[in-house]
Amino acid sequence: MTVDLDLHLPLIAAGHRDAFARWMAGAELPMRQSLRSFATRVDVESVMQEALLRTWQIAPRVELDGKPNALLRVSLRIARNLAIDEVRRTRRLCPGDEDIDASLDFAARAEPPDPMLRKWIRHCHERLPARPALALEARLDASEPDAAIAARLGMRLNTFLQNFTRARKLLIECLRARGVDIRELA
Amino acid sequence: MTPEERDALIEAVVGACRSIDPFTRMARAHPAWHDLDDDARQIAYERALVTRELEGALNDETSTARAVLARIG
Repeated sequence: MTVDLDLHLPLIAAGHRDAFARWMAGAELPMRQSLRSFATRVDVESVMQEALLRTWQIAPRVELDGKPNALLRVSLRIARNLAIDEVRRTRRLCPGDEDIDASLDFAARAEPPDPMLRKWIRHCHERLPARPALALEARLDASEPDAAIAARLGMRLNTFLQNFTRARKLLIECLRARGVDIRELA
Repeated sequence: MTPEERDALIEAVVGACRSIDPFTRMARAHPAWHDLDDDARQIAYERALVTRELEGALNDETSTARAVLARIG
């Protein structure tokens, strides 16, 4: 079931940060999926952050066109154009333009949060060993470099990263044991 | 590069902490991303996809969203 994230647009255009956070919660996955063909040519994370920031800046000028997810479609094009600019800047081979208007397809992938999935992820999260759980939570605040987080937690950098890897692996295994394949969802 | 070193670089790229270029004011690629081959970059991308899905379910906001909101101020 596709959700129309434009329900948040009036508040976003009025400068409400919380509304933009709610919009991002639905928009991030299709945006990231749309950049898969660039994964070996650009650092998708930096493109994502830049595209989301520009989406916030441009939102007051976005006009609804009668189709769902106007803002998401704009943001998908911003993300793609940023990725292409970066590829050109570094003179890497650019992916073909066969998916030039894939934004319509990806915009249709915006889905409401699945309460059952959230319930299982939280269930599995509560069963994580202490240090992997600590690493997973500490990294959520993206303002701090990994080395600083590791030092704050009293771990070596490699140990911290290994704990993060382990947390994700254990969560995926726990979910799979309950019939949820997060990789398929992603 | 040992498999452990390679995995540490991949995991570093999966994180959402990015420095901001002082001239362009744009998020820079993670330094570790430049040290990865194509296979490792693809792995980092797939891991980030799963990681953000998990983060979003646990906290409503992913680390990417938090990084963006911090820049909005």
